Amino acid sequence: MSALPKRIVKETERLMAEPVPGISAVPHEDNLRYFDVMIHGPSQSPYESGVFKLELFLPDDYPMTPPKIRFLTKIYHPNIDKLGRICLDVLKSNWSPALQIRTILLSIQALLGAPNPDDPLANDVAQRWKEDEQAAIQTAREWTRQYAMA
Amino acid sequence: MGAKVPRNFRLLEELEKGEKGRGAEACSYGLSDGDDLLMSNWNGTILGPPHSAHENRIYSLNIHCGENYPDSPPTVQFVSKINLPCVDQRTGKVEPSRLPCLFQWKRENTMETILIELRRFMALPQHKKLPQPAEGTTFT
Repeated sequence: MSALPKRIVKETERLMAEPVPGISAVPHEDNLRYFDVMIHGPSQSPYESGVFKLELFLPDDYPMTPPKIRFLTKIYHPNIDKLGRICLDVLKSNWSPALQIRTILLSIQALLGAPNPDDPLANDVAQRWKEDEQAAIQTAREWTRQYAMA
Repeated sequence: MGAKVPRNFRLLEELEKGEKGRGAEACSYGLSDGDDLLMSNWNGTILGPPHSAHENRIYSLNIHCGENYPDSPPTVQFVSKINLPCVDQRTGKVEPSRLPCLFQWKRENTMETILIELRRFMALPQHKKLPQPAEGTTFT
């Protein structure tokens, strides 16, 4: 196996030494490009008190291409699909090598606090969010209780 | 040696390739349960190769990708009945010892690799004229 690029080593060290509040990212021992991630649902969102598991992978050409990331915990959110894939501009067209694992995870946490049903990935969820926001938020709360609380 | 793509991200890549239909024309595959976060069970189809007893038939298969995929090969089982030396005639299961891409499994192999190889296997001169069960019958 080739050596891990310095950029990745540095990011990992910093994630360990100065963790972001409410977020953790730990690399697998046998694959240092593959991280187990936990994100706490932001307060005053339907995801409050939930702890969401995600997985993150840094492809060969990182940081020229963005990290790959998805939710492993079921979540009811208009920008996250049934397989946990996330629709977020910084993970796609707005990615820049100046961004980092840390900034991406913060963006995802912010997305939990500010769902955007006008740019949906899960169409059925987005539609419900637009038609009856209160009911959609209630479902998101229930799913959080059911799947994201140990 | 490059980065080792973990199982789930590899399966997502295969899913996207399968959905976009960027794969080989005569084979297709997709998740059997679009809600399954573990992405373990897949459906595959193979269009029978021309100039063989399989011509114009569509075979469906179940593919199961375990925890160790793609370090270990998936298990593959025909749903449609087929008479082929690598297929168990009672269950439809593909015998890994009799299909080179399973027997000599490499991490770079994909579900598509397997479907294409099975199709090639059907078209081999010694296999293409094998008598086939009635069309539309399934292994139970």
